[in-house]
Amino acid sequence: MEGGYTEKPLKTPIPHNEPQGIIKNRLWNQQQKIAPYLFIAPFYLLFVIFMGYPLISSLVMSLYEMRGFQSRIFVGIGNFTDLFRDPIFWKSLRNTAYFAVGTLTLQLPIALLLAILLNSKFVKGKNFLRLAFFAPVLVAGVFVAIIFNLVYDQRAGLVNQEFVLFGKEIGWLNEEKYVMPAVILTGVWQWAGFNMIYFLAGLQGIRQELYEAAAVDGANWWQAFIHVTLPSLRPVIAFVFVVSMIGSLQLFDLPFILTNGGEPADAGSTIVMYLYKNGFQFMRLGYAATIGWVLFFIIAVISIVQLKLLGIFRDE
Amino acid sequence: MFRLPIDSESFPLGKGPMVMLVLFLISTLFIFGRTEEEGENLEFWIFANTHYEEYQARVPIFEAQNPGINVQLINFGNTMHDKLLAAMLSNFGAPDLVEVEITSIGRFLKGAIDEVGFVDLRPRLESEGWMEKLVVSRFTPWSYRGRIYGIPHDLHPVILLYRDDLFKAAGIEMTEIETWDDFIAAGKQATRDLDGDGKIDQYAIVLDRRTESDYFSLLLQQGGGFFDEAGNVIIDSELAIETLEFFTALFNEHKIATPVYGTWHGDPSNFAAMQDGKILSILAPDWYVGILKSQVPQMSGKWKAISMPAWHPGGRRTTTRGGTMIGITKQCENPDLAWEVLKFTYFDRPGLVNRYETTRIIPPLKSAWDAPIFKEPDVYLGGQRLGELFIKLAPDMPARYQNPYWSEGADLLNDAIFAAVTEKQTPREALTDLAEKVRALIAKDRGRWGDL
Repeated sequence: MEGGYTEKPLKTPIPHNEPQGIIKNRLWNQQQKIAPYLFIAPFYLLFVIFMGYPLISSLVMSLYEMRGFQSRIFVGIGNFTDLFRDPIFWKSLRNTAYFAVGTLTLQLPIALLLAILLNSKFVKGKNFLRLAFFAPVLVAGVFVAIIFNLVYDQRAGLVNQEFVLFGKEIGWLNEEKYVMPAVILTGVWQWAGFNMIYFLAGLQGIRQELYEAAAVDGANWWQAFIHVTLPSLRPVIAFVFVVSMIGSLQLFDLPFILTNGGEPADAGSTIVMYLYKNGFQFMRLGYAATIGWVLFFIIAVISIVQLKLLGIFRDE
Repeated sequence: MFRLPIDSESFPLGKGPMVMLVLFLISTLFIFGRTEEEGENLEFWIFANTHYEEYQARVPIFEAQNPGINVQLINFGNTMHDKLLAAMLSNFGAPDLVEVEITSIGRFLKGAIDEVGFVDLRPRLESEGWMEKLVVSRFTPWSYRGRIYGIPHDLHPVILLYRDDLFKAAGIEMTEIETWDDFIAAGKQATRDLDGDGKIDQYAIVLDRRTESDYFSLLLQQGGGFFDEAGNVIIDSELAIETLEFFTALFNEHKIATPVYGTWHGDPSNFAAMQDGKILSILAPDWYVGILKSQVPQMSGKWKAISMPAWHPGGRRTTTRGGTMIGITKQCENPDLAWEVLKFTYFDRPGLVNRYETTRIIPPLKSAWDAPIFKEPDVYLGGQRLGELFIKLAPDMPARYQNPYWSEGADLLNDAIFAAVTEKQTPREALTDLAEKVRALIAKDRGRWGDL
């Protein structure tokens, strides 16, 4: 008989000498064949309904533009050519890239540093600190934005209360050049602790013998970090790097609420925010679908390049 | 001991799946087994908390007067417009009645006239004589191509709120201000460095340079707009350019205006600056007075109000900002009943009095204006009769023509204003560029599917 299921003894013996028993046996065998498919069916069913169909539908939609609520018109690649000539799209792309670079260069080193500190023998209250650093990720993005709206408050905000001592009252959310740094810092607060957990798990998985061998060879702390810790963490770093990059490119709620829709002068606008505006505020669904697909390709290409560079596809 | 009627061992795959199946069946029965309330049901979507609270109090009175009618109020908050858009796109799930905000209505007017998802209310308004009973210019934000898709919830006249104590300390009597020229002269006197450190400590006015709110209010005051009645782009008209030149001059030339603190006039940062005495005046629609009262009650007695300065002696002393409409969707199965609910919530005098009491919003129904509440002194404004001031200005509301391209236009207008105030472009360049972009957008759409 095919499959490994029948090799296990059944709890209830099936009577073989009665016609009823034979039918039962057949039914049992049938359901054993079908059951695995039934088990995985919900995923595929939901995937087709909620992912497959919308994906194909949005691809088709990107070739059309809505004319009103009930009709649409075929525009071919018109939406794509319009998009590449759209200065707000490019500005949103630049802002998104700014956030992504800021996140990767600021947030990940901080996350790694926190992980190293919490992995060391000298730090006390590790469980509490782990929870404290992880907690911000449990707060919904909308609330984080509201909290940081107060933190960046020009007159009475926590940040300016410090800076004002030096005679500078910074309009964090009011001046173009400060908007994205404010968003990046908020992102660091929210996500550094989350990434720290990944690094911490990675650090705890490094064999102690490697450090002992390095010590025998006369390596100092820094050399051990460069030659033992970092190479051992490579898969974790690659994962965190790629996931953080994807998350950064999909940034929406934080700047949308923090900057009240991306103002001033679209300084806080991101690709997904521009997608939302086109789809829901301007009712240009075809154009919004086009932005979505372009974003998909950007994420796919960057992720593959990152994984290649970080050697995830390398055979070892 | 309780035993399951089926032997859980013989159930395929054991007890766990069986329990899950039983729970699934129970919840299915619970969800689909609910009986609809008997009688006629109407669904009414709302996005503003204050409106929701008002209707929660008022609608039961309507239901008591009309047995068998159930009005279900649903407050979706800020996400309501997106939900409505989805319901209209799918032609399924829209409410019978809905309130729509003034900057959101444009997107619902896209496409051929018959594809608009709201019922044209003009025939009902005209046959029942409501047009004359309301401030007629307030139908313009909710009308397009001759059809009226909504009834105005409000007028939102704008006044100038000012710190009487601080202007007086600078030797200025604000009640004598008549024109913007007068205001600039007074503003220069009141904008001061109090401690001699070379930094301005109090500004005559706070203005929003991030968004169109203040600039567009000033433009409407003069009878201008983004689009004219026929849908033409007029944001690069001489009037619009001169208004933006005036607006930028308040910051850069006269130096009497400070940009809004935080992201908008209702930002806690802005309130903090007010309390610090950094801001001496603000252009305030009626609803903003309600916000001030609830957000900074400690400033009670410090503000006073005058009509907005006019552009020319004898000119219009107010403008309008913001607004909400109520409309009946085409998915509504009983528009006659929806119309009755609409009239009760929008034209019922006790309801409108209650609205002013809680939110300071002046109704567009002229017959309600003689209610005693509008003559009562307002403690927050040091006993000034604020209602009387609003009512005096109410008949002079400027028209604000609606257009399907408003959302795209407003988004670009925000950028143009910021570019002009920060001197990246001249007001003429900023508005000419803006108008060209919006015209190109409209021309591209027309090129694709012709005139609609």
